[in-house]
Amino acid sequence: MIFRAVEDGDLIRQAARGGVEAFNLLVSRWEKRVYNYLLRLTSNREDALDLTQDVFLKAYQNLRKLENSERFAPWLYRIAHNEAYSMFRKRRPETGLDDLPPESAEDGIAVGGRSVFPMELSLSVTAALNRLSPEQREAVTLKIYQGFKFEEMAEILGCPVSTVKSRVYSALDLLKAELAPIGRGVS
Amino acid sequence: MSCSPFDLKEYFLRELSQTDAARVEGHLKSCPSCREEMDRLQLTEAALCSLREEEIPQRIAFVSDQVFEPSPLGRWWGAFWGSSARLGFAAAAMLSGAILISAFTRPAPAPAVNLRVPTRSAQVSAQTFSGADIDRRIQQAAAVEATKAVALAESAHLAEIRQLRDDLNKARYNLSVAASEYDFAARRQGLVNVAANGYSFPKSDAAGESK
Repeated sequence: MIFRAVEDGDLIRQAARGGVEAFNLLVSRWEKRVYNYLLRLTSNREDALDLTQDVFLKAYQNLRKLENSERFAPWLYRIAHNEAYSMFRKRRPETGLDDLPPESAEDGIAVGGRSVFPMELSLSVTAALNRLSPEQREAVTLKIYQGFKFEEMAEILGCPVSTVKSRVYSALDLLKAELAPIGRGVS
Repeated sequence: MSCSPFDLKEYFLRELSQTDAARVEGHLKSCPSCREEMDRLQLTEAALCSLREEEIPQRIAFVSDQVFEPSPLGRWWGAFWGSSARLGFAAAAMLSGAILISAFTRPAPAPAVNLRVPTRSAQVSAQTFSGADIDRRIQQAAAVEATKAVALAESAHLAEIRQLRDDLNKARYNLSVAASEYDFAARRQGLVNVAANGYSFPKSDAAGESK
């Protein structure tokens, strides 16, 4: 008997043939990452959860269109990006994303009133992230927190690699100026 | 300002190849300013990673419902339209079929006809022939026509001569017949006279014989 880890590609193929259990296993592998990505974009748990459910429902409905199973992650995050921006547009149809006011650190993501790290550090990082533009914040989220390559980010965001690099580099410069002194205390 | 052979941010974000990353690492060992910049980037990353990922408050799971599940035919149809390779193959097959049907049902092409435009050729001839050529051609045409007229007149004249000869032969024959009849009538009259009057020798002949 040969044991082999069930890879995402196997689950995608089974799910594309209508295997709900295979898709549920796929969801369990990715739901936390997608949820946290959407949480960084929306800064709201309910919105992030609703969007995560919508993302996986849409993924299940369109899984047969995914030709290369190795591109599942960028494809899934592309759906998540589109769903989040669709929600933004519905809520603020008259204003662009650049016009959204940056949230203050106090309005940022609160970790349920508890802090696994020093509260001051969490607030500082959240405040620094919120001072970025929505595009820069999303780029940092995809690069630093989700670990995507520039090409994959370009696929997710639907823009050239040069634009992605520009957003990440400018965001890093801003974050470095604010967080490097704090990070010295962390390390 | 970095003096590294490559962008330090690109190295920090793990976007460089192994070879390029090794070159940057070699440079970092000998360049304090780049090492300091690299430290700042790593401290920033450490601060960012202090924000932990949250657990999803509610697990997501889908339930299979036969009512909403597509039928096998529906799944095949969906997969067919979802696959560009299958669509491309189907399109190529349809195109091939259409070409074959067209090849077998199309009527045979008409034989190629070398069409000429008389007016254009006449214009071209008129443009290319000089006046002398035209005169020569007119003379040749006139000569041909004259030859034809002469031949026609000769044949008519010959036919007339033949007719006259035939008429002459007929007249000669009639004349000989008439002469023969006359001679026959004269002899007959002579015989009748002899029978009536008896035969009398001509005098000249008697005198001549007596002498």
